[in-house]
Amino acid sequence: MKKYILIIKNVWSEMTTYRLNFALWRLRVNLQLLTMYFLWLAIIPTSGQFGSYNQSLMLTYILGGALLSTVIISSRSYGVGDHITQGDLSNYLIRPINYFAFWFAQDLGDKAMNISFAIFELTALFLILKPPFFIQTDPTFLILAAICAFVAVFLYFFLNFLIGLVGFWSPEVWAPRFIFIILITFFAGGLFPLDILPAPLYEIFKYLPFTYLIYFPLKVYLGQLYLQQILQGIATAAIWVLILYLIVKFVWNRGLKLYTAYGR
Amino acid sequence: MTAKVTQTAFVSRFGAAIFIIGKILRFAFFLMFLLILGSKTHRVADYSIFQIIFVFATFNIVDTTSQFFLREVYRFRYYVVSGEFDYFLTKPLSPLIRSLFGGSDILDLPILLLSVVFIVYSASQIGNISSPFVFLYIALLINALAIALAMHILVLGIGVMTTEIDHTIMIYRDITQMGRLPVDIYREPLSWILTFIIPVGIMITIPAKSFFGILSPQLVVLSLFISAIFLIASIRFWHFALKNYTSVSS
Amino acid sequence: MPAIDVKNLTKIYSVFQKEPGFSGTIKSLFRRKYQKIKALEDISFEIKEGELVGFIGPNGAGKTTTLKCLSGLLYPTSGQISVLGYRPWQRQENFLKEIAFVMGQKNQLWWELPPMETFLLNKEIYDIPQSQFKKALADLTQLLSVGDIVNTPTKKLSLGQRMKCELIASLLHSPQVLFLDEPTIGLDVVMQSKLREFIGEYNRKFGATIILTSHYMGDVQALCRRVIIISVGQIIFDGQLSKLVQKYAPYKLISLVLQKETEVSQILSFGEIKFIDFPRVALKVSSKDVKITATRILKELPVEDLNIEDADIEEVIRDVFGNKG
Repeated sequence: MKKYILIIKNVWSEMTTYRLNFALWRLRVNLQLLTMYFLWLAIIPTSGQFGSYNQSLMLTYILGGALLSTVIISSRSYGVGDHITQGDLSNYLIRPINYFAFWFAQDLGDKAMNISFAIFELTALFLILKPPFFIQTDPTFLILAAICAFVAVFLYFFLNFLIGLVGFWSPEVWAPRFIFIILITFFAGGLFPLDILPAPLYEIFKYLPFTYLIYFPLKVYLGQLYLQQILQGIATAAIWVLILYLIVKFVWNRGLKLYTAYGR
Repeated sequence: MTAKVTQTAFVSRFGAAIFIIGKILRFAFFLMFLLILGSKTHRVADYSIFQIIFVFATFNIVDTTSQFFLREVYRFRYYVVSGEFDYFLTKPLSPLIRSLFGGSDILDLPILLLSVVFIVYSASQIGNISSPFVFLYIALLINALAIALAMHILVLGIGVMTTEIDHTIMIYRDITQMGRLPVDIYREPLSWILTFIIPVGIMITIPAKSFFGILSPQLVVLSLFISAIFLIASIRFWHFALKNYTSVSS
Repeated sequence: MPAIDVKNLTKIYSVFQKEPGFSGTIKSLFRRKYQKIKALEDISFEIKEGELVGFIGPNGAGKTTTLKCLSGLLYPTSGQISVLGYRPWQRQENFLKEIAFVMGQKNQLWWELPPMETFLLNKEIYDIPQSQFKKALADLTQLLSVGDIVNTPTKKLSLGQRMKCELIASLLHSPQVLFLDEPTIGLDVVMQSKLREFIGEYNRKFGATIILTSHYMGDVQALCRRVIIISVGQIIFDGQLSKLVQKYAPYKLISLVLQKETEVSQILSFGEIKFIDFPRVALKVSSKDVKITATRILKELPVEDLNIEDADIEEVIRDVFGNKG
């Protein structure tokens, strides 16, 4: 157990040596946030409405989405693909360490660093932009939203890991990842709340795992769902986590057989 | 996600093909987003939804065209770090030209074509087009490419001095991304910064506005003037960077 | 019970053939053609605890494949392997804690952090008790004479220093069996000899079973009394190195740089000409006579420079065992 804590600590230390790199990354994240923030500010005037969102709710959604992205989507496990194609995986196979836990610990380290910066940045943005932020006061919603976010972390981990496993079958790991990133950008709800989609499309999205990464936890936070809907959503997300876990395990075993058959 | 800079070199053409599909998807999704906005609102900060789509398509044309010609810039870091850049300096061809051009990739064309299609489509929806504005639009697009060129030269100069080029390029891309939408939707001072400091507004919003016929002649002149300044300044900066260049020793 | 026991090990790779280009990729999605490569064919050997054995052979002979089978990275197509009583490919935790595999180019040190951080991480991964960790660290840093560099970020260390730290990281848990794959490849002469010294001392001091692969005769001559020669997936020699050299490679190479053109017939009188391209000449001379011959050459030929070298292992194998390499 302590080894994973050490890994988290090492990732943190590593990131502090990449200072400039990381700072530029945070700059980029914030530029993207600002674009969407101002867009919505322009679309929804102070007393206006867009679907079920007034200005305050929408801006809360966008800012909350940015924070949630840092918590849920920050990760390093995209490195799995390179580990496989470059043969570094062998180094881990001969050590008594759980490969999944190893990456999860790295992700936690990455998230920790990103979250600390995000909190600082968002505070600064709040002070500068003074957004009409909606603060949820009902503890039930807060707790449920936290639960959703918790489930989302695992959901994303398995999705991300799965894409990396492509490396067992193809040297091309970045192209599939590029498509994955684009899908996440649009389908997870970070750019806009998914319920503004036309109804038939939205119905489909309710069954997709991406929806539960950012859109769903935010919706719960905003208090716009009935308890029954929330529980249904959590259940769907949990089922997806289970399904993905099984798929990842299966693909991993098949891939490992291939990897150890070739020997790289 | 602390993502690595997207590699532009792929193992095979298959990977490159998937990459294009990704770009097309990205274009399509954002377009779909704009259309959904259009279905619910008719105006966004004084622009009709088709004008917004026109701006988005303009962005894509400028972005893709400049990328098409200036792809080689993305390889620059490799050249500096590996020491190959030293060869550029000793050969008769201008190192600036060498670093900027030559990396054109045919894979950029599909998006370009799509953008043109959407320019035409959204223009037709806006209606009321008069040819002088069309010519003005095209002229200002060329002006935009001049600014893009200046920006890339600036990036190269920074790369020569610090080898920190990957992020500089991506930041340039991120800032220009803000030009997907008309820059006046951003509040001041951001809008002003995006027009005059990092002239995204001049690259995209202004040509679009000229097409709509709402651009004052003074702004036209100002835009041309600013791009000229940027171009000259960036070239000066490049020469300055070269003077301070310390070759990479392995 | 031997530490390592291999019986009739065969390893066949199924490599799938992909046609190059875009159409090739599409085709490969539908129908795959596999080509079977026999990497190891029916090999058997036993290694006792504490032995230091060298696996030598030309590139592609199957040395690395053997090591990977022994460490559990590859599963055997057929045959039995037992290492310390375990089946390697099951990769049980207790098995992994007893072995170490040092693979040339693959690094485990975290690049941005000092090696010490990787050591501490390994301490946790291998569940090394604090006192044992401290002792192992002290022993290893002394043997490798690294001193304080363990607290400098890995990226700032020289190649030699990095290699030493990689070794320490691999050995902190005092493995009973150590697999070294081409440990001296890419190193300069000084580092090579230091590394050989270290491996020898480590074996003597800690009694670990060590298997190393190499295609440098020098590695093996310096370290191993016993060698196993693999060529094209088969063991063609398993025994004492001294016997191998005596029996199969009783010659050395004399390479000359001549000052002026000399009659070929004159050079021939000293030995078999392997290579001649004025001013360079390479001669094959029997080991017994090499010193005398060298002295004669210096007296009778206009020599600018003279060098005596060992027979190249690849050549020995090719010469003696036929062109299988």
